[in-house]
Amino acid sequence: MNSGGNRGDGCRGLSIFGDIDTLTVAAHELKSPLALIRHLTLELESSAANPDSQKMILEQIRLTSEKALRLTSNLTKAEQLQSSLFETSSLHPSAVCTEVFQEILPLYKANNRDICMSTKSRTQLVVANKDILRRVLLNFADNALHYSGDEGIVELFTQLIRKDGMVRFGVRDYGPALPASLWNDILTRPSAPQVVHDRPDSSGLGLVIASRFAETIGGKIGAIRHRDGASFYVDMPISKQLVLL
Amino acid sequence: MKSKIVVVEDNAWQAAQYTRVLESNNYDVSIARTAQAAIDVIDDVQPAAIILDLLLPGATAMTLLNELQSHSDLATIPVVIATSSPESLSGATVSPYGVIAVLDKTTMHPDEILTAVRRAIV
Repeated sequence: MNSGGNRGDGCRGLSIFGDIDTLTVAAHELKSPLALIRHLTLELESSAANPDSQKMILEQIRLTSEKALRLTSNLTKAEQLQSSLFETSSLHPSAVCTEVFQEILPLYKANNRDICMSTKSRTQLVVANKDILRRVLLNFADNALHYSGDEGIVELFTQLIRKDGMVRFGVRDYGPALPASLWNDILTRPSAPQVVHDRPDSSGLGLVIASRFAETIGGKIGAIRHRDGASFYVDMPISKQLVLL
Repeated sequence: MKSKIVVVEDNAWQAAQYTRVLESNNYDVSIARTAQAAIDVIDDVQPAAIILDLLLPGATAMTLLNELQSHSDLATIPVVIATSSPESLSGATVSPYGVIAVLDKTTMHPDEILTAVRRAIV
């Protein structure tokens, strides 16, 4: 998925979407969590909530701010992609998934949702930058939490794609099937993000960033529409390290 | 008897926050996360008012407003829009759809949702 070129108009730091003003998109995406944090804080200040409710609201404030911070951190990192080389190493897929799982689990629990890990086939070591791969998967997991329905568990999976020499890292949700029009919209977003006039989480910013991250470390993102949900994935090349031994 | 309110909001914690404010003031609240789900909930509950987020996944809030207008029993239900992007619509655009207030989530106090609902139901 092509993410578009740079504008080259001197607006360094605003260029990852090509012609789209990243700053505007990011500001739009951050409005929703900031507004929610503000509402919850005002509620804490003004209400006589019991200790359990106060604890729940405080946790929601923390998790909402952490999600917003992930976005800002990813934006910063995405800008650095243009001038940086990222060190890659051989990684064990299940170790990466475990790290992502443990990081995202509190957010799922606070939303009364479940996420699990699975290995669809025996996998091999992959070549990747661990931090970048982690960011891509966290992005997919955030997306799955929002888009999938209240029922069904979200699955963080790895799968060997032997013919391509890749390992697939994916996030599968079991939410209601997306209409074809919306699905096409999602699939085209990595190269054509929207600015505003859409749901805050759906501008495509996350997918564009994930796509850029994946390209930088030799991977490629993709998506599969299922009858009962969707999978977003990134394919990473298998490490040749063992062959060289 | 409690007045029934339907909250159409895709952010579960934002919807729960509205619910806490409204239920503590003796309203009966039902939540729908999407415009598609909202049609069924509204049809089932027949609420006294609807609180509607403008930016929803899938079908948009405008689609829902159009759908409500196509049903004579739902067309008169007052709607309060609560959005982080109020600049993306004008009052003239939505007033024909029974929208009696547009609240800006980024500046409103949580209690303003209660004030707007009271004004809608009177």
